[in-house]
Parts: sequence; structure tokens; C-alpha cells
Amino acid sequence: MLEITDLATAYGKIEALKGVSLSAKAGEVTCLLGPNGAGKSTLMLTLAGILKPQRGSVKFEGEELVGKTPADIVARGLALVPENRLVFPALTVRENLMAGAYKRRDTAAIRSDIDAMFGRFPRLQERVDQLAGTLSGGEQQMLAVARALMSRPRLLLMDEPSVGLAPLVVAEIFAIIRQLHAEGVSLFVVEQNAHMALKVAQHFYLMEQGRVSFSGSPGELADDDVIQRAYLGQKRAA
Amino acid sequence: MSDRIHSSTGAATGADGAFAQAVRDALCHLPGLGGAAGTHAVGLASDMAIMSLLALSAYLMLLVGRVSFGQQAFFGLGAYASGVLSAMFQVPLGLALAAGAAFGALCSWLLALPTLRLSGLHYAVATLAFGEMARIALGWWHWQRPGEDGPVGPAGIEGFRDIRWLLENDVSPAQYLGLTLLVLLGVLVLLMRAERLRLGVGLRMVGQDDTLAAAQGIAVDRLRLFAAALAGGLAALGGGLYAHRTTYIEPAVFDPMLGVHAVGYALLGGLGTALGPLLGVMLDLGLLDASRLLPGWRMVIFGGLVALFLRWRPRGLLDETLVHRIATAWRLRRGTAGTPGLAPMPSPPNLSRRKTP
Amino acid sequence: MTGLLQTTIDGLLEGGSYAIVGLGLSLTFGSLRRLNLAYGATAMLAAYLGAWLHIRHQAPVWLVAVSVVVAATAIGWYVERLCFAGARDDTAPSRGAPIAGTDGREVVALASSFAIWMQLEQLAVNLLPRHLNAFPSLAASGDWALGALLIRPDRLLVALLAAALILGLAAWLERSRAGLAWRATADQRTAAHLVGMPVARLQTLAFAVACALSGVAAFAVLAIDGQVTPMFGMWVLLKGLVAAMLGGLGSVRGVLWGGLLLGVVEAHAQSLLGAQGREFATYALLFVVLVAPWRRGDRGAPLGGLRA
Repeated sequence: MLEITDLATAYGKIEALKGVSLSAKAGEVTCLLGPNGAGKSTLMLTLAGILKPQRGSVKFEGEELVGKTPADIVARGLALVPENRLVFPALTVRENLMAGAYKRRDTAAIRSDIDAMFGRFPRLQERVDQLAGTLSGGEQQMLAVARALMSRPRLLLMDEPSVGLAPLVVAEIFAIIRQLHAEGVSLFVVEQNAHMALKVAQHFYLMEQGRVSFSGSPGELADDDVIQRAYLGQKRAA
Repeated sequence: MSDRIHSSTGAATGADGAFAQAVRDALCHLPGLGGAAGTHAVGLASDMAIMSLLALSAYLMLLVGRVSFGQQAFFGLGAYASGVLSAMFQVPLGLALAAGAAFGALCSWLLALPTLRLSGLHYAVATLAFGEMARIALGWWHWQRPGEDGPVGPAGIEGFRDIRWLLENDVSPAQYLGLTLLVLLGVLVLLMRAERLRLGVGLRMVGQDDTLAAAQGIAVDRLRLFAAALAGGLAALGGGLYAHRTTYIEPAVFDPMLGVHAVGYALLGGLGTALGPLLGVMLDLGLLDASRLLPGWRMVIFGGLVALFLRWRPRGLLDETLVHRIATAWRLRRGTAGTPGLAPMPSPPNLSRRKTP
Repeated sequence: MTGLLQTTIDGLLEGGSYAIVGLGLSLTFGSLRRLNLAYGATAMLAAYLGAWLHIRHQAPVWLVAVSVVVAATAIGWYVERLCFAGARDDTAPSRGAPIAGTDGREVVALASSFAIWMQLEQLAVNLLPRHLNAFPSLAASGDWALGALLIRPDRLLVALLAAALILGLAAWLERSRAGLAWRATADQRTAAHLVGMPVARLQTLAFAVACALSGVAAFAVLAIDGQVTPMFGMWVLLKGLVAAMLGGLGSVRGVLWGGLLLGVVEAHAQSLLGAQGREFATYALLFVVLVAPWRRGDRGAPLGGLRA
């Protein structure tokens, strides 16, 4: 579904992505692991069209995305839940969801989708007319996911959805990921929390210093010694 | 004189008459040799020196990261203060100027206290508001004392006439220019020396990133207050010199455009060195105004230059990088061994991941 | 008592002018987080063009009105290109912060806009070098009486126009899809990109509308005065700035309250302290609002966002 080939993005003279190649299959949860500074967020922002790559290609369902504006990319069915949630703090929860549906014109369907979101995230319903900036971290994360879902994406990108959240909330987030997967939404998730990721993803990539250094199934990930030590903390069951 | 010119150039025939006339004209335009043209040059140089002080005042604030549109207020306050002292109380010029500068420094410091923590935008607008408040207040000030030819002192909107210390003490314009230049030189030496001291470095650090500077243990607030006081003093000093040069000041002179120009000079000339603002002044007053190039387009050109520079060379012409390069080249030419600075750091350990065998 | 009431009414009516003048400035700040110091000069140059048409070419009033608005928009485009285009690209690495600090970029745009202010003012004065320049006058010939109170109908009209524009814009911002997009883009630019909003286009449009509004304001105010002077640019900037700041920069309805408040304060200051006192009161009010201790929360980061 998503084919990334030799993608390179730089900030001025600093190359954050040094030629990344990976792919995400439709209907699967693909997970990208890696330490801070590896370039994971840069990759996500490049996929969303916010950053322009120096070279490389991103094919989504056969169509080239590099060079398209973020608006085009959303229109094609790709949506990003960014790092740090980035809700619209001065807009209400409802307005945030409406903003998520900006590219759509079917007002009746948008309204019913909003109701559906409240069904999926009851806590948001409680705060429907509250300013998003006053929500807790977990609630903002739900809102960010809901907002991204409003555009009815076929591939949902998530950048570190669990960072900075309490363990109970993290569990909720991953439950939502599992739920979406069951409903047929394809997901590409960047995570640092490898433990939780192991439970939901079908394929793993590891990124370090701007390059992909590992690609494999959850089993292969769990088997790799170095990864164990680096990301899973030597808790290998004998 | 024409005979001497003729013979020195070796031309004696009528055919060269035009050339000789041109040489004569040119000589007349040098200061001190011609009539009106010479006086004009002296006056221009004085104006440039005085404006440089105001521009330096804006520059100091820019160093600590603040755009101030109120420096003209201290210029005006200094003008009035030193004018009052010299014209109404017969205080000698030097003392009057010094007292005016001190007054300006005090006022600037007082203004800085409540505005210390304002964000850049709010600060700029607050200084603009303050500048106007000062100007209007000066327009309200009536205080006159009997003088030789009638009452002397600030007369509100009508201004303050007869600041005639220079005339009463037979100081010629050329001599006054000399004094002004001396003062400017003193200020420049002071500022450029301070650059090398911890004070100067600290000021620049505050301007670059005050959070980081605070984390390094620098007293950011105190330095900002100090910069404000110094800037106010410089502006007031310039104002005092201005008052005595023109002998007549009125509040309308000290309007926001004056302060806006001062900031423009500093931004254009460069924030890397105290010579930067001088360059800005010379470009505007010297080049554009004096050469009468495209009259009526001076501000269009100047404003356009400032805007362009902010886009592509934000620290001005003499920015820190250029100043550093010049200083290094100078040091190398003088043959001083090596360049003072940090020793090269040892290379970091190789942290690349090695495959376990 | 009637004296006090009359002064207040005069102040409210004058305040309508301030509100309409401040609207564009607040709109720009709200959507771009940048203060456009060239705002007054933009309105002035546009007004001077209108005056020039009126004086040299005897243009009819409607043509002058249209020209002023169009000119203001065009000049605004120039200002935006030169000073604020960078504002639309916050993700790009900064080219060595010229004026540092958390709001370094905002201050740079401020600085470039004041440079353009100088430019535009000089261009205006080059066009019409005289101090007093005639402007098509729509001033009312008499006052309306309301009991013992007098109301100037032309000022009332401008005040009503201000209220209509402001409340209309505020309602549009709150209720329409495009209004939501304007507010979202002003609130969190990256997120606006992510939901597919055409951020750059929206911000350029907001800036253009703000400048067009400055043209409308300029025409309305000058049509009452019947003349324009070189002081107009500074007047627009300062009155607009105070009105916008009193109501909260970026708040559309706020500019209405801010303008009315300013008008009332000025009117009373004038009756107590004279014309100079009135000017002083304006700046003092602005200064106090800025350094007010109870605004401590807002001071560090630039205010932002567009609020209805």
C-alpha cells in the first residue's frame, strides 16, 4: 500500500533521513521503532507533505506523493496523528473534529461521523464544547486520533501515540489501534514503546541515524539480541 | 589663487580654462576652504556624529535583543535637560551634557523596570507609547527664567529657544564638530573595549538567547537594565549635543520617526560592532541625503534596504561573522601568533553500532 | 449630567472609527502572529491615491472609495511579500535569528514592516506634497438631536458600519467552514496543514482582507474629515493598535470594545485636559495595558490565534 524508496530529507545542511526504504502493507499495522533523533518524526512529516524531501519516492496505492501538498495527501486518504498531538487548542473538541473533515463536503455524513467518534471516544463526548487546549494529555491524544479519522483515511500514520501518557491511557491507545486494525484501517505507527508495539503490529522496522537498520516480524524482533538489549531491556525469557 | 592653480597644473592656455575652473570649484567644496559649502559639510558631519549617538543607543538595545522605538524620547529629554542647565543656569557645556546624559540614563532605567519582562512585540509598542508620552509631556512644560534678551526656557509646544552657550562662548562650528567627534570617539572606544570584556559578551549572550544565558548564570535582568540605562545615556548625550548645535529645540522633533530611523541605522549598518550604526548613519545621511541623490526618495530607498537586509542579511552589513573575519585577518596580518580562542576539541569516541560477532 | 453623557456619546461615536481602523490590524495579528507596523502607512498611501484622484482628476466619490480599498489591498500584497511571507513557513530552519528570543521571527517581521512604513509614507508625501489635501467629503451638515443630546449622523454611520463589519466577521468566523479554517490556521499551523487546509493561501487571504479593511476604514474616516494629512498614517497605526490591544490582539469582537473604550476615555480626557491631554491619555492607556501586572500570563510568548 505504501512504498517508500530511498527517501532523504534534510534540515538545512543536516540530513535527517539518509535514504530510507520501507513499505507498509494494506490491512496491517506496521511499526517503526527507533531511538530519539533517528529521524522517525522527520519521516512522518515528510510522508504528510509538511517537509519536502531532497530525493526519493513515496508511492501510496501506486500514486507518487512526493511533491504533493499536505492537502492533496489528505485528499488521497493518508492522515497523520502527529507527535505532540497538535490539537487546535483554541478550538472546541467539536470544532477540532470538524476541522479534521475539512477536505470533505458531505455535511450529513460528517455529522454522523462526529457522532460515531463520540461513540468510540466517550470521554470526548463529555467535553464536546470544551477548548481542546484544556484537555488532558490522554484526551488530546484521543482527539488527535479522532480528528485524523474524520478524513476517513485509508492509511493512518501515528507518530509516538503513547509518549508522555500514563500506562492506563497507553493501554487505551493501543486498544484503539487494535480496534481500528480490526475494522480494516491500515496503520503505520512510530513508537518507542516496543513492548506494547509487539502486541499489535504485524511488521517492524528499526530506524537509526536516518536509515532503516532492521526489518522483520514480531518474532524476529523479539529474537534479535541487540534489539533486545537496546529497546526491550534484556528481559529475554530464556 | 587661480594663477597658482594654473601654473601648478602646468596649464596656462585658454583651452584648459574649463579644467582649471572645475578644479577651483572642487577645491571650494572642501570644508574650511569654501563659504557655504564648507559650512554645510561641517554641519553635515556634526549631524552625522549626533545621529550616530542615537543610532548607538538603538544598537545597544538591539544587542540585548530588544527593538526600541522610544530612544528619541531620551534624546529629547537629554536635549531639554542640558539646554535648561546651560541656557538657564549658565552651567558649562561639558557639565550640562554630562548631567543631561545622566538624566537620560535614569529615565531609561526607570522605563526598563516595568517593561523588563515584556515580549519583543509588546516591548516595541510600549516604547513607542512611552516615546509619545514623553513628547507630549515636553509640550506641556513651561518654565522660563529671565535671561539677557528676555525670558529663556522651555515654552511648551513652541519649544525652547536661545540655547546659545556655543555662541556666547565663541565656539565655532568647526570646533564644535571637533568636540562632537571627540565625544563620539570616546563612546566608540568605550563600547568596543567593552566587547572584549565579560560585560560585552554577556550583553550579546542575553540578546541571543536569554533563557540560555540565564542558565549560564548570567544576570539577565540586571544586564538588560544596564543596557537600557547606557542606551538612554547615549541618546541623551546626543540630544544635548543636538540642542546646542541647533540652539532651538521643540517637542515635534522627537517623534517616533526619529527613533524608527535610529533602529534602521543600527539594523542596516550591522549589529556586529559599534561601528555598524555609524555605517548606517553614513549611508543615509551621508550618501543619500548629502549627495542629494534622488531627493524625495531617500526613505523609500533606505526603508527598502532595511527590509531587504532583514530578509537576507539579518544582522546588517557589519554582522558578527564579517567582523570576526576582519578581526582575524587583521590579527594574522599583525603576525600575532595563532588566534586566541578555544583549542580544538578532542574527537568524540566512536559510538557506531558494531555487529556482535 | 448631560454634559457627561454627551461626552460619552461623542466618545462612543469616535470609538466606532477606532474600531474599524483597528480591525485589520487585529486580524493580521490574529492570523499571522505578526504585528504589521506598515498598516497605517498602507492605509495612508491608499488614501493619498484616492485624494490624488479626487484632486487631480475630479473622480466621483464611489470611484475614490473603490480605489482606496483596491489600492490598500495591492499595497498590502507588497508588504506581505516583503515582510511576512516568511511567516508562512515556520517549519523551515531559521537563517540565524536576527533578533533572538522565543519571538525572534515576529520581531524581525515587525522590524521589516517599520522599514516599509518609512517607504510608504515617503511615497505618499511624494504624491501629494502639501500638508492638507482635500478628500471627498460625506460629512453631515448638521447634528441630530435626541432630547438634550446631539448625535453626529456621519459618525454614527461609521460606528454602525464598524459594528456591522466586526460582528459580521465574528459570526462568519464562528459559524462557517471557511471561518473555521481561518481560526484553525491561526491557532496551530502544522495541524492545519495536516487536516488539509491550504494554509499559505488562507494566510495571504487574511492579510489581503485585513488591508482591504484598512482601506474601508481610511475612506470612512477621511470622508468625514474631508481632508487627509501626512499624519494620517501614524494616526491609523496608533489608534488601531490601541483599540486592538485593549480588546486583545487577535480578538475580532474585542476590537469593537477596545475602540469604544478608547473613544470614551479620550473624550473624557479631552474635556478634562484638552487636546494634548487626550493624546497623552491614549498612549498612557496603551502603555498601562501593556505593562499591566495582571497580564503576566500573556507576556512571555506572543499572543496569537484568531478569536471571534
